[in-house]
Amino acid sequence: MTHFWPGTTGSQVRTFALFIITLAAAGAATAELPEPYQKDGRIGYVLTRKAWVIYEAGGVEAQCPEGLNASGVRQQFADLFPMDGDEQWTVRETRLMREGRMWHPETSEESFPYLDAQGEVAYGLNLDGKVDPDDFRSPDGIEGIDNQLQRAIGCTPGWRSDGQFVHFESLFAIGHSYNRWMIELSGVDDLSNDDDVTVTTYRGLDDLFTDATGDGFIAGGSQRVDARWGQNFVEEVKGKIVDGVLTTEPVKVARIPWAMRFVGYYDVLDFQLQLKLTPESAEGIFAGYVNAEQWTNRLNRNWGSHHQSYGTVSSASEYRAMRRLADAYPDPETGANTAISGAAEIELTQVYILHPSEQ
Amino acid sequence: MSRVMRRSTPRFKQWLTSAFRGTVMGLLALGALVGCSPVDPEPESAGTQTLTKLITAEQYGNSLAYIFGSGIDAQVRFAPVARNEGLLANSLASAGVSVGQVQTIQGVASSVAKQVMDIENRNHLVACRPESIDSPDEACATQFVSKIGRLLFRRALTDDEIATFVGQASAAVKELDGKELDGEKLDGFYAGLEVVLEGLLIHPEVLFIVESAEPDPNNPEQLRLDAHSLASRLSFFLWNASPDDELLMAAENGELQSPGGVERAVGRMLESPRLVDGMRAFFDDMLVFDEFKTLSKDATIYPEFTSVTAQDAREQTLRTIIDHTLNKDEDYRDLFTSRSTFMSPALAIMYGVPAQPGWAPYTFPEDSPRSGLLTQVSFLSLTSHPGRSSVTLRGMALRERLLCQTVPEPPPGIDFSVLTNPDANYPTQRQRVAAHLETPSCAGCHRITDPIGLSLEQFDGAGGYRLTENGATIDATGSLDGIEFDGAIGLGEALSQNPALPQCLVRRVYSYATGGPPENDARAALNYFNEDFAAQGYQLRNLLRTIALSKAFSLIKNSPSEEERLLATTSSR
Repeated sequence: MTHFWPGTTGSQVRTFALFIITLAAAGAATAELPEPYQKDGRIGYVLTRKAWVIYEAGGVEAQCPEGLNASGVRQQFADLFPMDGDEQWTVRETRLMREGRMWHPETSEESFPYLDAQGEVAYGLNLDGKVDPDDFRSPDGIEGIDNQLQRAIGCTPGWRSDGQFVHFESLFAIGHSYNRWMIELSGVDDLSNDDDVTVTTYRGLDDLFTDATGDGFIAGGSQRVDARWGQNFVEEVKGKIVDGVLTTEPVKVARIPWAMRFVGYYDVLDFQLQLKLTPESAEGIFAGYVNAEQWTNRLNRNWGSHHQSYGTVSSASEYRAMRRLADAYPDPETGANTAISGAAEIELTQVYILHPSEQ
Repeated sequence: MSRVMRRSTPRFKQWLTSAFRGTVMGLLALGALVGCSPVDPEPESAGTQTLTKLITAEQYGNSLAYIFGSGIDAQVRFAPVARNEGLLANSLASAGVSVGQVQTIQGVASSVAKQVMDIENRNHLVACRPESIDSPDEACATQFVSKIGRLLFRRALTDDEIATFVGQASAAVKELDGKELDGEKLDGFYAGLEVVLEGLLIHPEVLFIVESAEPDPNNPEQLRLDAHSLASRLSFFLWNASPDDELLMAAENGELQSPGGVERAVGRMLESPRLVDGMRAFFDDMLVFDEFKTLSKDATIYPEFTSVTAQDAREQTLRTIIDHTLNKDEDYRDLFTSRSTFMSPALAIMYGVPAQPGWAPYTFPEDSPRSGLLTQVSFLSLTSHPGRSSVTLRGMALRERLLCQTVPEPPPGIDFSVLTNPDANYPTQRQRVAAHLETPSCAGCHRITDPIGLSLEQFDGAGGYRLTENGATIDATGSLDGIEFDGAIGLGEALSQNPALPQCLVRRVYSYATGGPPENDARAALNYFNEDFAAQGYQLRNLLRTIALSKAFSLIKNSPSEEERLLATTSSR
């Protein structure tokens, strides 16, 4: 693992600078924080969209030359236990066994083929400060991008940008205030350039405000901090704003609410934000490592077999891939990595964050 | 007198002297009594007409809520009526009900009757229990029909009416015996009552408020509202609902028109929380808030203005008015300068401030550009176009809605292209509407509207604050009836000092109370109300009391000829 500012290597500085310059060229820079969106050097944003991000330029042919993964939970079940013969199956050796595989996944070999995404480009950040052979290059040419999650899920239809998870996970994030996640920047002198700001994450309590079209979100809403049940979502980290782009130092563990109908969250390890800021919105990515077991558990809790199947997802197969591609947090006993690097594309809208003393 | 005394006998002189003394003393005593008795400061009044008015959807809904409780869901929607001299309420006496509307109302009546007789509600809404649930029970039906019919008809039903309705209930029980509806067996007795209740709810005497007059016992030449009509007029005026049981009882037993009776009734009504419903309805009408139902903004220009914004903007202003005028009993005129209001999260976005969930009191800070009703999103957005502000609509609204003045319609054949396709060299509204003043046919009216609207130009068509338009700094100077100012706060101050402001409220309240625009002969009464309103610190509750207790409110004109009525109505406009 690496510390972002101290001990940064020359290549890191170059790649980071390149990234910033590229984003700044996109027109993010603004002048001083305008009223009324900031007060006392504080500005808050609430999450309005999130999705694990896959670089899809060039289409399926580019990333998945052998095609997409085609065997979801139901297809695998049908393959394993064909019903057109004379063989009699018990519930225990079929359904319960497969159910057990989902909730207690294994790394053993399986008969189903699993296709990893190919390619050299991915969104994300250089989380370990190294440029390894299996690292990616960012769309802007920055080397050393850690995003093995893209290899693991990039050829599974449910996770691609037109898959159901991208759509529904954002839909539920919007519609369920349990998922309300916010960041607050404090100590901000200038939203375009400020080398010392503090970023605090919170869980919010309130609904989002959509605009008159019903598709967008309106800046200027209010969100109360969930001070009672949201303490585990509070993290504080330092960051810098360069040409309108905020980049934070890593947070050891940041908890991101991520529930569909049921309670859920992801613990993102070595979590970092890189966001293009305006007074009204912020967009960019968060990057970090996710424990493969937690990922699988959340997948199963949030998405039932039928949901996984119509995205041709099998959590048991996916777990094997994630463990195979995991690139951090080795198990102290086995030495095998337990967490996989990845990035999520996020969009946030400015809100007034109401702290407990202001509620 | 001295000659009589000289020619009289001593005994007669003694009698005459004592009689004279007695007469003098009597006259003095009479004079003293006259001097001590209160002099009615209200000028003589001819009163108003008796009216037959269509009940409004809100009045119908409020009445049902009083009778059956708020748990009964009555989604009442009536066809809109035309606005007449500033108020929808002024048109209710000329509104009818089409066949289509009757069907709509019948749908509501059917739903309400079904809910009332539902097994979950009937035990507390039908006070008696039938002997058998499957058969008619005249005693229980009579009890229910009498009680509910009285509240719905705003008078006690006659024995014949009760017998008819009870008979219909019994007949329905027999007709529906053993039948099912939606797969459920109908409970005969309650099914019969349901049929009758539905009929009561769409009865013409329920849907129309019929006023009637009687000779005033103190002056038999003069007519006055009879007790039930007075109760209804008071109740719809102050509560926007039918009279409650206590008011009806006062009308029935003579208490209402006994000495001090109406004062006691009005006093009770003014202290009731139901006064809030009544005054919300009045201000909603006066401020033309029915237009919120159709208000829409261009979503690409004002994406932040949603249907929730519109709904909350209306609510904010009504809450502000009620709090200011009824909760705090403050000067009506200060509504236009006060920084106190209420805030909701959706509305806070428009104002650029944080807000807690729900509604909470909010005070705009001293350095805020907003103070008073004119700077609230309701007024600003309602008086704008979908994609831009309008100095003319804002000025016209202020004059017509708040000062009771009439701004003439634009003359025919006007070329609006200069405004709708503005010269790009004219970035601000001030420069664009200058064309109004350059055109003689426009200038006359726009001189009285545009200087008002220009002072509100720092608020866009959705009510959001801005300092520039198309990159140019907005000049928000303006004037109102000779008073010049810079910006909306100055306009609010000038308006609050304008004598026409409270006079307009008086005129509107009196119209609303009596159901029609004041006729010419009401001028003396209006002057009296104006003076009284000023003397009592422009407090709304006192104005309501004064009008409700006035002769101009309860006296009825002696059947003027139709020609006179038309003449009076025409000249009052």
